[in-house]
Amino acid sequence: MGVLSDFINMGNGNNLLYTMILLPALLAGLILAVPRLNYRLRSMIFMAAVSLNMLFALGVFFGGDMTMLIPWAGFGVNLALRVYDFSALIVLAVAVFALLVGMYSVSFLRSKDYSGRFFFYYLVTVALVNGAVLANNIVVMLFFWEGLLVTLFGIIIIGNREKPKAALKALVLNGIGDLLLMLGVIITATSAGTMMMDGISDLPIEGVGILGFVCMMLGAAGKAGSMPFHSWIPEAATVAPMPFMAILPAALEKMLGIYLLARIALDFYQLQPGTPFSLLVMIIGAVTIVLAVAMALIQKDMKKLLSYHAISQVGYMILGIGTALPVGVVGGLFHMINHVIYKCCLFLTAGSIEKQTGSTDLRKVGGLGKLMPATTVCFIIAACAISGVPPFNGFFSKELVFDAALESGIVYYIAAVLGAFLTAASFLKLGHAAFFGKTKLPEGVSEDKVKENSGAMVTPMLILAGLCIFFGVYNAVPLGQIQPLLGEALGGHDYAGWPHSLTLVVISVAVLLLAAVNHLIGYRLTGEGLKAVDHIHYAPGLHSVYNAAERHYFDPYDIVMLLINAFAWLSYGIDRAINWIYDAAFVNVVNYVSDAAKRINDGHSSTYMKWSFFGVAFIVFLFIILV
Amino acid sequence: MSASMYLIYSFLGLPLIIVLALTLAAKKPADRLCIYAGYLAAIVQMIAAAAIFAALLAAGVESLTFSQFWDMSVSDSAAYLSLDAFSLVAIFCVGLVSLVSLITAQSTMGEKKLNFTNVLMMLMLGMNGIAMAADLFTLYVFLEVTGITSFVLIAIFHDIRGLEGSFKYLVMSAIASAFILAGLAFLFMEFGGLGFDTVAAAIGAWQEAANPTLLIVAFVLLASGFLIKSGIAPFHGWLPDAYQSAPDAVSVVLGGIVTKMAGTYALIRLLSELLTDIAPLTQACVILALGSILFGAVAAVRQSDFKRILAYSSISQIGYILLGAVCASPLGYIGAILHFFNHATFKTTLFVNAAAVHEQTGTTDIEELGGLQKQMPVTGVTSVIAFLSTAGIPPLAGFWSKLIIIIAAWQALGAFAGALALFASIFTAAYFLRLQSKVFFGLLREGLEEVREAVLGLKIAEILLTAITVGFGIAFPLALRFMQAQGWL
Repeated sequence: MGVLSDFINMGNGNNLLYTMILLPALLAGLILAVPRLNYRLRSMIFMAAVSLNMLFALGVFFGGDMTMLIPWAGFGVNLALRVYDFSALIVLAVAVFALLVGMYSVSFLRSKDYSGRFFFYYLVTVALVNGAVLANNIVVMLFFWEGLLVTLFGIIIIGNREKPKAALKALVLNGIGDLLLMLGVIITATSAGTMMMDGISDLPIEGVGILGFVCMMLGAAGKAGSMPFHSWIPEAATVAPMPFMAILPAALEKMLGIYLLARIALDFYQLQPGTPFSLLVMIIGAVTIVLAVAMALIQKDMKKLLSYHAISQVGYMILGIGTALPVGVVGGLFHMINHVIYKCCLFLTAGSIEKQTGSTDLRKVGGLGKLMPATTVCFIIAACAISGVPPFNGFFSKELVFDAALESGIVYYIAAVLGAFLTAASFLKLGHAAFFGKTKLPEGVSEDKVKENSGAMVTPMLILAGLCIFFGVYNAVPLGQIQPLLGEALGGHDYAGWPHSLTLVVISVAVLLLAAVNHLIGYRLTGEGLKAVDHIHYAPGLHSVYNAAERHYFDPYDIVMLLINAFAWLSYGIDRAINWIYDAAFVNVVNYVSDAAKRINDGHSSTYMKWSFFGVAFIVFLFIILV
Repeated sequence: MSASMYLIYSFLGLPLIIVLALTLAAKKPADRLCIYAGYLAAIVQMIAAAAIFAALLAAGVESLTFSQFWDMSVSDSAAYLSLDAFSLVAIFCVGLVSLVSLITAQSTMGEKKLNFTNVLMMLMLGMNGIAMAADLFTLYVFLEVTGITSFVLIAIFHDIRGLEGSFKYLVMSAIASAFILAGLAFLFMEFGGLGFDTVAAAIGAWQEAANPTLLIVAFVLLASGFLIKSGIAPFHGWLPDAYQSAPDAVSVVLGGIVTKMAGTYALIRLLSELLTDIAPLTQACVILALGSILFGAVAAVRQSDFKRILAYSSISQIGYILLGAVCASPLGYIGAILHFFNHATFKTTLFVNAAAVHEQTGTTDIEELGGLQKQMPVTGVTSVIAFLSTAGIPPLAGFWSKLIIIIAAWQALGAFAGALALFASIFTAAYFLRLQSKVFFGLLREGLEEVREAVLGLKIAEILLTAITVGFGIAFPLALRFMQAQGWL
């Protein structure tokens, strides 16, 4: 340890920066070198990697600001890394979740044959996220960012190699987002005149800057999983390994996307409250909140339900940052941290259920409260957090976002509150169905075999659940880290402690009560927790909309794919038509003319004489008209 | 006057002497030796043309003009013979094609060798005369010599097809001759002379002449007559029939050079030296040339006879030569002369190929042929090269001349003419590819297993002409530099 601490505390500490990237990547390679059957050794290397990463992240977090620069590709593309308070915070958070979910994964994947590849992709992902967060050169950041596309595709497809549709969808949607980001990066770097991220500051959003801002913003929001780049998440949820959902869409991608979005809004561009661009970001956020949560409400599968919430919650963060108000930005970032905690926890509880019963479909599984008490407790805490029940962490961050949304416009506030209502309603339904009521198990699974999971799986959940409470009750701790990020823009405010606006708190609590009443009504109507929101699902008007949504009629990916297919058919048709012109029409015309020439050359001198006289007449005609 | 100038006598004298000698000699030795005598005349003619070309360059003289055939020193307005670079190129081509024709005749003419040689010598004399004429009436006389000997050659076997083709050519030629003669008469009535110099001097102010209408009639008649002789569409009707029905050795000379000399060469001379600045005539020639290029190429696509395809190809290629000539620019003129030369080589190659195929398989119907490449490798390869040259594929000779003509047309006549000329090249490739694939490529057709390569003479002719096509193409940049040095471009 002595050597290690020396290393961490080395004068400039620069080595630490690239170690954060190289170490997980190298150990990932080592895992692949371990024989396939030696799961123990693999998982040990894996745990060592995430633990070391955690240790180094602590070193980075407490090591203060550092920069390093290795000249690289020329054209201003240098391998520049920088750690400062914001990136240090994100790196630490990434490390924490990588460690917790990693611990859980080792236990979860014990009997899976793809565990080696999962660990490999997992560590490479961590390395790439570290690289993207620490990068100080915008092109280098893009490099790491795009690398995530590969691991994302790989990790989704290992769970289901026969049906690559979901992985392909993830690849295409993220790829489009990344392309937009690339375009934005090019424009931004060009208009800033530098590729160093600490040199790009307060570009005006006008002229070509509009394109740069919008492209970068869409790329960042897309990585976080906002609409319209969201639709791969629910599909990936059904095929990918559960820890993947907990670590990537729920945690690392959110943090990375929101980190960049915050950098764009705070550093790169002058995003002012009330400008059209602020509105644009807020609209994306608000639409994402409402539509995704509406879809979450009717899901009957725990994984899908949670993944829709993973989309919906991004809306709050984007809405908060989009307001460009200090309270909104702080709220958005705080919500990001909170979201990652509780959503990770929720996915892990879902994974616990899957591990024990083999399913997360609530039509087959339910009433597990007595059988899996720890999971149940963790779920309840995390569900309260996501629903915004005081004094859990989600409540405080949501209140900040509500505050900012109300200040920016009542519409956004209503969207946010509607989202909160539906969130609470859907989690009441989910919790009721999954943990309370009569025990339901899939066929072939007997009740006595279902029990609480091992400590390795429960511990991360408990830690996360604990964090949900801790970050709520002692919200000054996380906010103490977040608020300084805004610097002077904060304007001396301190949002720690109990929310300032009592009115908003009252409304929020009222909404929660309303959700509870709604649940009770639904339960009375149907007699089943799972069907507690059926009166909304099958409400006149909404029913057909939901039907269409379930059939992917509103999925931007499927719509675009449909258009692409139509375009492909059109292109094919045009190609055939052009081919026809060359292969048939042109040839036929030539052949026809040629045949005609053959026919009229009939061997009679009189015919030839006639033609010659036509020729003479033509020359005479020219003389007449030209002389 | 260097000594080599006296070689000029050989152009008109040598064929005449050979005809006399062969006629007076005993039948047997004449039969045996006639072809060789012909070779002698042709080779001497080529050498003489080259030598005089060199002497002219050395002396820095643009042209030789003389009024009496035996007295070259006189140069006055009464001149009726002259020689310049174009004449010499034409005479060289006449010698070359006649040589190849004689080689072809050696293996295909059989009993008729002596007759053939005699008539061919007269034909050479006629064409040389056309090349040297500096007077419209002299031109007409030699035109008639050329025409009449051609009729005889086409019908030399007295077979029905030959006679029919000959007759059609005769009918159309007679009309052309009548037109030309009438045109000459009208010109003579107006200008009082038919020397090129006389007419050229008077023609600038033709609209102020005593009777411009008569002159217009004369122009129309002259142009039409030579267009008929060239086989430019729509005056082309006789041409495919004549080419197809002529014996192989005759179609070589007919397709390779005769129509070019009797029609195109004379037309170019007239257009470039006498009938300049007569807008309607130039316009007519441009339109007819473009029409001919396109029509000949399209019409060739569906023909089923080897020689007929070549005939339509000739119509198209003559269009290119005429197009270059009517550009009225040095570039166009040079392009026309080069294409004239190239056409004489590649089209003669193809006619020899046709003769070889005909000799070995007994047919020129491409539907009955197929897969001969293995059996007749030399014929197949030379025919592909000749076709590529015709289609204007670099670096073969045909590419350069076609390129120059298209550039000249683009400059002088506008983008449309240039683009159309370029576009027609596609059809050239189309009909020749069809020809190649039907005759030489693919699987060997049943019944042709016994076919062998053509006789040595034909192979030599094919290789000789192909060597010229390839060599001239590769060495063309040198020729271009030479022409620039001479100030012709």
